[in-house]
Amino acid sequence: MSNISLETLKEWSTLGHRNSFGESIILLAKEREDVVVVNADITTTARLVNFEKEFSDRIFNVGIAEQNMIGFTAGLAREGLMPFVVSIAAFAPMRCAEQIRNMLGYMNLNARVVAIEAGCRFGPLGNTHFATDDIALMRAIPNFTVICPADPHAIYKAVFAVAEHKGPVHIRLTGAPGFPLLYPDDFEFEIGKAIEYRPGKDVAIITTGSVLWEGIRAAEILEKKGISVRVIDMHTVKPIDVTMLDSVFAENKLIVTVEEHSIIGGLGSAVAEYKAGFEKAPKQIMCGLGDSFRKIGNYEFQMKDNGLVGEDIAEKAEKALDLS
Amino acid sequence: MENDKLINQIRDKTELMRRDSIEMGYAAGGQGAHFGPALSCMDIVATLFFGVMHHDPKNPEMPDRDRFVMSKGHACLAYYAALIETGYIPRDMIPQFKGNNSILCGHPSMNVQYGIEVSTGSLGSGLPIACGMAMAAKHKGEAHKVYCIVGDGECNEGIIWEAAFNAAKYKLDNLIVIVDINSFQLSGTTSDVMPINLDALWHAAGWDVSCIDDGNDVAEVLQKITEAKNAAGGKPHVILTKTTKGKGISFMENNLKFHATPINEEQYQHAIADLNAAEKKRRE
Repeated sequence: MSNISLETLKEWSTLGHRNSFGESIILLAKEREDVVVVNADITTTARLVNFEKEFSDRIFNVGIAEQNMIGFTAGLAREGLMPFVVSIAAFAPMRCAEQIRNMLGYMNLNARVVAIEAGCRFGPLGNTHFATDDIALMRAIPNFTVICPADPHAIYKAVFAVAEHKGPVHIRLTGAPGFPLLYPDDFEFEIGKAIEYRPGKDVAIITTGSVLWEGIRAAEILEKKGISVRVIDMHTVKPIDVTMLDSVFAENKLIVTVEEHSIIGGLGSAVAEYKAGFEKAPKQIMCGLGDSFRKIGNYEFQMKDNGLVGEDIAEKAEKALDLS
Repeated sequence: MENDKLINQIRDKTELMRRDSIEMGYAAGGQGAHFGPALSCMDIVATLFFGVMHHDPKNPEMPDRDRFVMSKGHACLAYYAALIETGYIPRDMIPQFKGNNSILCGHPSMNVQYGIEVSTGSLGSGLPIACGMAMAAKHKGEAHKVYCIVGDGECNEGIIWEAAFNAAKYKLDNLIVIVDINSFQLSGTTSDVMPINLDALWHAAGWDVSCIDDGNDVAEVLQKITEAKNAAGGKPHVILTKTTKGKGISFMENNLKFHATPINEEQYQHAIADLNAAEKKRRE
């Protein structure tokens, strides 16, 4: 059950994923004394100021030093605390990947790496500030669970779910302020269990993260053309929900994976890896970022330039369906 | 007198630990072992485990145990030897060093049951973890200390200084770092590879800095670590400790070749003869 009002969720939707996390972690910290937050001088950027006001002795700013941030986090976790280490995705996990692998993954510690501004929204800042390859990295590190919540409510649910989880977790946050509230009502969020957002027979659009919204839009466009579309929120990319994939392989004719991430190593790859073991499974097309660095541009530009808006997804799906 | 007795007991243990290390390293055969950096810090590790730290091999997870982190994880022979002589690791595991499916990995892999507190080996990784452990102790109001051995070559790593600044910021005076200054690293002397002024750097980072002139002298090591342990003062403690690389094995001392290498039977016999001679001399 969510102890959170629709008004609050609407406000978080307006404010974006940073605030959604920053407020969710306060609610968790009120319930659990072992929750602490670590960051590398992004207390304001990550909207952790309210947390700091409420729990000044439970937040650690290690300065601009992400490698040590992870080591410090590992030490806290090793001693039984539950640290949430918060960074911009380009800096954690990307900058301190080795520390995350050795100190959190290898020791299987109960630490949570929360990556804000993953994906393309930092488009105007240049490729140094993008993380479009972090799922590939984190999926390959043993013991790690990788979660990409789709909206403010899912972020809240993920924060509470990981608190009960054993082992390290990567929470990947995408989406701009004003990202839609896709789960206005209470809903079941279970790590590793995908959500069938809407049923459909022909195409299965599988998404992860806030790009679920574009998947839903694509489904609406296709439905108008008489194509039945199933939309699946694969919020946990690792471990991927193979029960849901089995159902897709059995019931749908085309799979469209959609992610704000490189098509190398992300959700599309995870689905394809599992699908490789089947003699008969539907064709899959991957909507994601190609193997190149991005042009400079704002979020809207990035999503369009990389074919990640509903119209593009629908067009690709329709074309693939014609051919199959 | 009491102190002399303790020093003698620790020295007895260092003899056994050096033997264990040679046995483990020789058992690794052609894979070799990091003899030099383990032998340099052997007397420090022995002093911590037998003369300083509060711990119980029968209760490895005892909440109020002092924590030990071997940041220079390649010196695991010294760590394992201490865990063997204290009883965390059974002696019959000695031949398994670096063996298939062995617990005695070439760099420590966290295994609480056997007293291996955290995984280290990638240089620079132990100190930040030790800082987090010390922070957690402060946060939870626990009185135990965290001891961490860092290599002088390891101080090339940027993360060491990130951690050093952070420990000073959070006033982690429950953290005692011993820098093993054996003056060598993989490809040469520390002064050739990366000339840095450790004393100035640790001072600049805001630590309480002390020095040990002979880190292979148990009496001096015990005295200085005990002083740091009993000091508070709101600053983390670092003890810059001069040691001899390969200490105790004549052909390994200050010989870069034995930083990490296999030893043959002749070298093994030579090493054992050196240890026998040193023990005999000590008892004369």
